[in-house]
Amino acid sequence: MKAEAWVFGATTAFFLLVSPIYWIATAYGGYLDGKGDWTGFTALAMTTLLCLMITVYLGFHARKMDARPEDSKDAEIADGAGELGFFPPYSWWPLWCSMCLGVMVFGVAVHAWWLFIIGAGFGVVALSGFVFEYYRGEHAH
Amino acid sequence: MTATAAQPSTVGKARRPLGKELVRILTTTDHKLIGKLYLTTSVLWFMAGGIMALLMRSELAFPGNQIVSDEVYNQLFTMHGTIMLLLFATPLFFGFANAIMPLQIGAPDVAFPRLNMLSYWLYLFGGLITASGFLTPGGAASFGWFAYVPLSDGVASPGVGGDLWVMGLWMAGLGTILGAVNFVTTIICMRAPGMTMFRMPIFTWNTLVTSLLVLIIFPILAAALLALEADRQFGAHVFDPSHGGPILWQHLFWFFGHPEVYVIALPFFGIVTEVIPVFSRKPIFGYIGLVGATLLIGMLSVAVWAHHMFVTGAVDLDFFSGMSLLIAVPTGVKFFNWIGTMWGGSVSMDTPLLWTFGFLTTFLFGGLTGVILASPPLDFHVSDSYFVVAHFHYTVFGTVVFAMFSGFYFWWPKFTGKMLDERLGKIHFWLTFVGFHTTFLIQHWLGVEGMPRRYADYLPSDGFTTLNQISTIGAFVLAAAMLPFLYNVYKTARSAPMVDSDDPWGWGRSLEWATSCPPPRHNFHSLPRIRSESPAFDLHHPEIAAMELDEDSQLKEVER
Amino acid sequence: MSARLTKRVGTPLLRWGIGLTLVAGVLLLSGCSAEATEEWKRLAMPEPGTKEAGQIFYFWRWSWVALLLVGVFVWGLMGWVAVRYRRRSEDETPVQTRYNLPLEILYTVAPVIIVIVFFANTVGLQHDLKELDPDPDHTIVVTAQQWSWTFNYPGNREADGSWSGEPGTDGKNVYEAGDASYIPTLVLPVGQTIQFELHSPDVIHSFWVTGFLYKEDVIPGRVNVFQVTPDRIGTYQGKCAELCGAYHSRMLFNVEVVSQDDYEAYLQQQIAKGKVSEEPLLGNQHATTQAGLENGESEEADQ
Repeated sequence: MKAEAWVFGATTAFFLLVSPIYWIATAYGGYLDGKGDWTGFTALAMTTLLCLMITVYLGFHARKMDARPEDSKDAEIADGAGELGFFPPYSWWPLWCSMCLGVMVFGVAVHAWWLFIIGAGFGVVALSGFVFEYYRGEHAH
Repeated sequence: MTATAAQPSTVGKARRPLGKELVRILTTTDHKLIGKLYLTTSVLWFMAGGIMALLMRSELAFPGNQIVSDEVYNQLFTMHGTIMLLLFATPLFFGFANAIMPLQIGAPDVAFPRLNMLSYWLYLFGGLITASGFLTPGGAASFGWFAYVPLSDGVASPGVGGDLWVMGLWMAGLGTILGAVNFVTTIICMRAPGMTMFRMPIFTWNTLVTSLLVLIIFPILAAALLALEADRQFGAHVFDPSHGGPILWQHLFWFFGHPEVYVIALPFFGIVTEVIPVFSRKPIFGYIGLVGATLLIGMLSVAVWAHHMFVTGAVDLDFFSGMSLLIAVPTGVKFFNWIGTMWGGSVSMDTPLLWTFGFLTTFLFGGLTGVILASPPLDFHVSDSYFVVAHFHYTVFGTVVFAMFSGFYFWWPKFTGKMLDERLGKIHFWLTFVGFHTTFLIQHWLGVEGMPRRYADYLPSDGFTTLNQISTIGAFVLAAAMLPFLYNVYKTARSAPMVDSDDPWGWGRSLEWATSCPPPRHNFHSLPRIRSESPAFDLHHPEIAAMELDEDSQLKEVER
Repeated sequence: MSARLTKRVGTPLLRWGIGLTLVAGVLLLSGCSAEATEEWKRLAMPEPGTKEAGQIFYFWRWSWVALLLVGVFVWGLMGWVAVRYRRRSEDETPVQTRYNLPLEILYTVAPVIIVIVFFANTVGLQHDLKELDPDPDHTIVVTAQQWSWTFNYPGNREADGSWSGEPGTDGKNVYEAGDASYIPTLVLPVGQTIQFELHSPDVIHSFWVTGFLYKEDVIPGRVNVFQVTPDRIGTYQGKCAELCGAYHSRMLFNVEVVSQDDYEAYLQQQIAKGKVSEEPLLGNQHATTQAGLENGESEEADQ
């Protein structure tokens, strides 16, 4: 996981460099009457923070965990043997969730509040169904 | 027991009843099927956008209004742009990434399979809502795909088509963000043993960088869209001209809009990077340089947005001009790496490589005109003219469409178990190539002469007529080029034999060529050992891999 | 099967052949009048009509030379690779070269150098273009409105922002306004610095005179200012270059660069037609005072 952390780290470093350069360029560059561009600077700063967050998360975990088989150049396939994870074989809930959101979005667009509320109502049910699908019924524990 | 030689079957498995197939598709969590859904839906949108283009080109063939009114023409180019960029090219990336990336890293599926399907539905329904404006009395949105305010506000564009456009894109954008989350997580957490980051195929690297770009830019688009909708519907004044609203919108939009075109380009650079080594029988040249170039392109693309705003007089020209020119460097590095891969190789112009050459030829010219546009003194004249239209069609069509077909012909056996017909593929290519250049090469001239973009009409005295007519003819040739492809798909599905090997091309390098065509439900019955960036190649050509290992260890001996 | 086909189709020769045919076709189809030949020599650029446009045109030409050299080089490499290294036998196994550090460094550094040179030239020229003379000879206040133009000739601006001196009687504003059925003409004196001030009361438009090789957006809520010095008497085309609604394609205007005498005569003509106002017409509140509307209200209408 170290390599991934470094990739995002390099990205963070780039934006850390470019954000203040952008502020200085706009504030002192002579094109904007001495005013820095808040919009672009904010967007770049937030981008820096996003990359930093991912870098810190990955770096933290990279430090805490041992090298995984996929991080090791000499790993054998057997090193990764065992359960890989749970992969839902099929599910209806993505369809229901998206249909409800579609109704809500359409309701906003055509200024039909009643439609938005109906969509939200069904949407809460659909979202709950999606989230709890593998914690209910035969999967309950 | 006597064994008879089996006839190669033309059908994969027994046909199931239609209802069961439909349910299987509606409830699937299989990234391969979701990828196919994305690919199919994208190509359908491509054809819809293409019809709009034909209507526009028909209108422009003669001065005066013949086919559509000025207002409808505006709807056509708005929706053409929106569809091509956001409902065709971006989801096409998701289609290829879904279909191929997990196979390339040896994963059984993506990290969040149901989220994957949710992303697809959000795209489908969001896209349908966006385009549903055409069904309203006021028509679809007609303020251009970049929706500049105040033209896109509730006063200048009061129709519900505009609101449907805004909210539909918001929804589709949400799907895009969730899809990107899925890809980043899959690539970081689900690689096979031995598949280190620097052994991943370049297509996977490009998927990672593209997904990161999506995470950076789509939330900003989503926010800007909601703010615009607030202005339109609830009387908000976020983008009010009295306090710099128009320029604020442009900054927000282009902060999204420019990296968006790299979101569209990078995955297709990745496809091309997969195709070239296979048909040159050599590994990719300068792998680390390519990874670095991809990262640099991704990062720089976030810092160049206001080169779309040079003529507003409201941005720092030096910063954006410098950054935009810098992007040419890593892109150039990629070009040389691609050429370097073929150099000294055994190059065979099978259909996938032919399409890749089409991409290389076309994109190069688009890149050159991009350098012109990156220079404000030159941009002042040609901005907002047909020169820009020509530039972005060269870069975007050149990359997305040529590389898309390259990817289709290359990976069709992996997706479906059958090879597309090579001869039809070549006819398809040449029609597309000739049609494309006839349509768009001349538009550079038109733009420089003084024809602005988004013009529904022009004066006979302008002198634009002949060039427009040539362009229109080209557009129809380009449209006709789709026919051999569609026939090819149909013919292959009906009567082509199933391939019987993991790697029908023979010289595949990445892991997807180490499993059957098509792969089983969770991708691999068994994984080969991974010791380089070409694990399937090492598996199928162990003598060549051994040769290299020998050479390597000999070199190490010498160094010691 | 594919081996047989690759020899017939897809050779670089065929590709170049098709390309050249296309170019030849375009040449033939676009006709060869004297005007067309001139246009070919300028590679489609309109004839430059200002001092600044001359500089831009020079930079344009040399940029294209440099870029086409790069292009021909890379296309050449592609063609070479396709021909020289084409597969000659089915079991060819080339050396599996994966990298070459010196070469990679070379083709990273070389583009950087090219970019730096290009950037240096760009910055120099654009500073010249954007520089504003504090005392221009004439000021034109342009109002772009859905979907035509108004050109105001307000004379000279005083320190307190008011206008005085030329061009109308008593320093009043002379104007020329277009509408849906009338394409307005902007008249400029040759050889003098003209400052344009761009106003819009509604949506974003863009003021593009193709012969000036320059455009600038007209953005509501801000006033864009630029200067040019026309140096060639003649007629030029003007177009709106930013989507502004349904009739964006019809928002045209003409520009006539004339001698100083003809310019003054033109202003007198406009005055004689009664196209005079106290202040420059900036749209919106002045809409009621547009030529052709007879409602007798005062020019300083309430907003």
